[in-house]
Amino acid sequence: MDQVQVGVFLSDGGNQLTKILDYNAITEFVKKVAGVVFVARGSEFWRGQGLQTMVDAIREGKVNRVVVAETLPKLSEVKIANAIEDAGLNHYLMEFIDLKDHCASPHQKTPSEATEKAKAMLLGAIERAKLLEPLEKLEFPALKSSLVVGGGIAGMQTAIDLADFGFEVSLIEKEPFLGGLAAQAGRFFPTDDCAICIQSPSSDIKTITHTSRKCVYRSGFTEIPNLNILTNSRVVAVEGVPGNYKVTVEKTPRYVDEDKCVQCDLCTAVCPVEVPDEHNARLRTRKAIYINVPHVHPPTYVIDGSVCKFHDCAKCVDICPTKAVDLDQRSEKVTMSVGSIIVATGFKEFNSSAIKEYHYGEYPDVVTNLELARMIDGFGPTGGVVVRPSNMKPAKKIVMIQCVGSRDQRYKPYCSSICCMISIKHATLIKSAYPNSDITICYIDIRTTGREHEYYYEKAREMGIKFVKGRPTEILRDPEKGKLIVDVEDALLSRFLELEADLVVLAPAMIPADGAKKLAEIIGIETEEDGFFKEYNAKLRPTETKLKGVYIAGGATFPKDAPTTSLHAHSAAMKAVKFLHTGKIVKDQRTAVINEDYCGDCEFCPVTCPYGAITLEQKDGEHFVAKVSDLLCEGCGICVGTCPQNAIELRHCRTDQMQAQMKALMSINGTSKPLVLAICCSECGHAAVDSSGMAKMEYPANVRVMKVPCVGILQVHQFLDAFKAGAQGVMVVGCKIDGCHYEVGSQKTEKKVELTKILLKEYGVEPERLEMLNMVFIEGDKFAEAAQMMTERLEKLGSLQTFGGS
Amino acid sequence: MDTRFSDEITGRPGGETITRCYQCGTCASSCPVAKLDSRFNPREIIKLSLLGEKEEILSGDPIWLCCSCYNCQERCPQKVEIADIIYAIRNIAFKKGYIPKIYSEFASALTTEGRIGKVSKFVENKRAGVGLPTLQPTGIEALEKIFAATGFSKLSQKKEETQ
Repeated sequence: MDQVQVGVFLSDGGNQLTKILDYNAITEFVKKVAGVVFVARGSEFWRGQGLQTMVDAIREGKVNRVVVAETLPKLSEVKIANAIEDAGLNHYLMEFIDLKDHCASPHQKTPSEATEKAKAMLLGAIERAKLLEPLEKLEFPALKSSLVVGGGIAGMQTAIDLADFGFEVSLIEKEPFLGGLAAQAGRFFPTDDCAICIQSPSSDIKTITHTSRKCVYRSGFTEIPNLNILTNSRVVAVEGVPGNYKVTVEKTPRYVDEDKCVQCDLCTAVCPVEVPDEHNARLRTRKAIYINVPHVHPPTYVIDGSVCKFHDCAKCVDICPTKAVDLDQRSEKVTMSVGSIIVATGFKEFNSSAIKEYHYGEYPDVVTNLELARMIDGFGPTGGVVVRPSNMKPAKKIVMIQCVGSRDQRYKPYCSSICCMISIKHATLIKSAYPNSDITICYIDIRTTGREHEYYYEKAREMGIKFVKGRPTEILRDPEKGKLIVDVEDALLSRFLELEADLVVLAPAMIPADGAKKLAEIIGIETEEDGFFKEYNAKLRPTETKLKGVYIAGGATFPKDAPTTSLHAHSAAMKAVKFLHTGKIVKDQRTAVINEDYCGDCEFCPVTCPYGAITLEQKDGEHFVAKVSDLLCEGCGICVGTCPQNAIELRHCRTDQMQAQMKALMSINGTSKPLVLAICCSECGHAAVDSSGMAKMEYPANVRVMKVPCVGILQVHQFLDAFKAGAQGVMVVGCKIDGCHYEVGSQKTEKKVELTKILLKEYGVEPERLEMLNMVFIEGDKFAEAAQMMTERLEKLGSLQTFGGS
Repeated sequence: MDTRFSDEITGRPGGETITRCYQCGTCASSCPVAKLDSRFNPREIIKLSLLGEKEEILSGDPIWLCCSCYNCQERCPQKVEIADIIYAIRNIAFKKGYIPKIYSEFASALTTEGRIGKVSKFVENKRAGVGLPTLQPTGIEALEKIFAATGFSKLSQKKEETQ
C-alpha cells in the first residue's frame, strides 16, 4: 500500500451540531493531524453532493483512508461503504464515528468540553484509520442439496419445500415407514383432519391434482424426482463444513424389495412368528413380516430381523408371487454430500411407568394418549372401538389424567404444551361416537392457547365431558371387579373423589425422540438440558443451530402441535434455501488470524471458540498450531482474548489499532474531570451508548467510547494499557451475560475484569476504577448514569499515579 | 392479610419451596388425615399462606393436625416440601404464642420429667409387675442447657404467661 493519505469528512448535520460543537476549531485541529491530507466539511456525506465529494477524492487518488463523522450512523455507514467500494477503495479502509449521539447530544450543556471530546474522537478514528488494511471477500462453494433426518410431518414438509425449490433432497427415516408420531395419532386438532394428510408438493407430478392437501400415500411427494427417500436408515457420521457436509447413513435391511412387493399379504398369512404390535399399542399381534397399515409409505412389507427365523423357515420367500423377499440383504452404508442438514427427529411419549402410583405397565387398563389414539383410529387394533385391554370389552367410564411427568420437577419440569388439546380431542371423539360414555378429565390447568383451541374445550363441556381440577394421587384397582379407582381431590370443592373407571388414559410428557442426543453429537450441535435440540435463538434465529447449514424443524426443538410443526418446517426449509440457493457462501475476511511463530501446543482457543472454527494442526511433526477456518469464524475475537501467547489477531480489529485509538482518545482531555475510557462491544454495548445519545441523556464529556467487535476480545493487559494511556477509569460495556451475540464473550470478559481488579489491588490501584456493565439498547439511561457515577467515583479517588497516568 | 407471610415461611429452614405450589391437589388426595378430618387440607394451608392469611393459619387448628407421614411430599410434582413447610409454620405459630394444649403439656413434661409425657400409674404398675424399677426424671440438667441455648425456655415461659 502506498503512503497513508487520510481524508476526513465532517458532517455537521445540516448545521445543527455547530450549535454545540465548534466546527471551525475542530476542522483546524484535524487539518494539522499527521497523515490527514484532505478535510471536507458539509451537512451530510452519506448521499448527494457530500457523498460525491468523498467519491471524487478517492477516484482522484487524493485519499486512501476515509474517516467519516456522520450523524445518522447505522443507515449512512452502509451507504458510504457501498459508495467508496464503487469508487475503488476497499470499504474496510473506512473509520466511522458519530459526533451527534456520542458527543454533541449527551454533552450539550458543556459545549467547549464537547468540542475537545470531538477532537479526541476524530484523532482516535484517524490514528486507527492509518493502521487499517483492506479485507477481501471470500467465497466458498456450497451444494444445493439437503439431508432431512426424520420422516414425520416436519421432515416430510421440509423435504417437500426443498425439493420444490429444486434442491437435491434425501429424506431419511429410522423406522421402516414414514409418518412418525403423526402416523399413530389418527386425527389432528384443531383442524379435525387426518394426521396423514399433508400439504401437496407444487412440483409437477403427473396424474396428481394440486389441491392444497392430500393423504401421504396419494400426495405424490414420493414421486418428486429430486427427492430420495430412505427408510430404516440412520445417520452414523457427519464430516465437512457448512455447504459441504459429507454424511454417512446406515441403512438396515428391509428384506423385501420395494420394487417388487405388490402388498398381496400372502407372506403374513404363512409367517409363523407372532409378536406384540408396538405400532398398535400392543393391542394386537403382528407377524415377523408385516406392514403397519395399508396406506403407509413405502407400500412395502418389512421383516423384523430381531424375531424372524430367516432360512430356518423362509415360508414367505416360497409364497411370494413376485420373489420380493430377500433374506440375504445386509446393512449398507450410503454416503452423501449435502450443503445442509435439517434435523426433524420429533418427540415421543415419556415412559409413564416411572410414576409408580399410576401403575402404567402393571394395570393393563391404564393406557397412554397415543395408545388411546390407536384404539380410536379405524385402522387401529380395535377397529375404532375404545376397549379395556384387560378383557377387550368396550370401555364406558373413562378417566383421563393430565400432566403425567410434565410440569413435574421429578421428571420433566416443562409443560408439554399439546397434551390438554390431545386429551380434549380424544374425549370429544369418543363422546361423539359413544354418547353414553362417561368421561372425566383430571387436570392441573387446562391450556388451550391456540386459535380454535378454546372452542374445543367449550365443545367438550357442552358434550358433557367432566372436568376435575386436581391431579390424582394414585390409581387403585378393585381386586374383585377389576375396576380402576382414581383417587383425586377436586381442588375447587376441596372434596375427595374416588372416580371409578374402566379405562384410565394418561397424558404423558413429550420428550425428545430416541437417539436425539447421539445425533446431536454426530452432527456437532447442542441439546438443551431437557434433551431437545437447541435452537440458536427462539425469537431471532428460530430453526437455526450454532452450526451454519444445520437446521431443526418441528418437535425436535420442543413438543409442537401440527400447525406449529408445519410452520417450523417451512421456516427451516427457507433458512436452508437462503443459505445455499446461490451455490456459494459469500463472506468477508473479518476473521481471526494466527501468528504461527508464537502459537504452540495449548488448547485454549479451539475450546473457547463458540463456533468450532479453530482446530489444532501438527506442524513440523512435533508442535501443534491453531488453524482458523475462515468459513466458520464469526470474527468476534473471543479467541484473541483467550490466547496466552498473544498469537491471534482479528484482521479487522488488531491490537495495534486498538492501542492507537485508545492513546488518541486519552490524549486530549479538555475537561476538569478524570478521563474515562468506555470500551463497548459493537452490539448491545455500543447500541446502549447510541440510545443514551438519541434520548439526549447527559453524561460528562470526559467519558470516551471505543468500539470492539465483542468485549470477549479484551485481555487483562488491555485494561492495564487503557490506564497506561491515561484513563483514570475504565468501563467495559458488553451485552447481557446470557445475551452475548457471540454466546460467551460477556461471560468470559466478566471473569477477566474480576481478575484485573485483583491485579489492580496488588498494584495499589483502587479496583473500582474498572467496571463491567452489561446492557441492551434500551438501557441508554443506565449507561449515562454509570458514566456519571464513574466520574464522581474517580473524582473522589483522586488522580491515578501508577502506570504513568496523568 | 400479611403479604409478606410467604417470605417469612421461605426464610425458614424447610419452608423454602412453598412458592412452587400450583395447587394441583396431589398432596390433599395423598393425605390420610385430610380424608378423615375435614379441618385439615394441606393444599388449603399452602394456598392460604401464599395469600397471606397469616392470622387464620397461625391461630387455627389445621397446622397441628399433620401426622408427618410425608405422603404429600413424596408425591408432590413440584417438589414442594409440604410436611416441612407445616413444621416451619408451626414454629412461626409457636413463636407468636399459638400452641395447642397438648404441645405445651409435652413441653412442660420435658422440663420436669425429661420425657414428653408423664409416666402414668398404669405404666408404673406394669413395670412393677415385671420387676422394673420406678421411672425417675432423667437428663433434665442437659435438657435445660439445650433449652437455654436454643431459646426454647424463653419461648415456653412466654407461652405460659399468655395462656
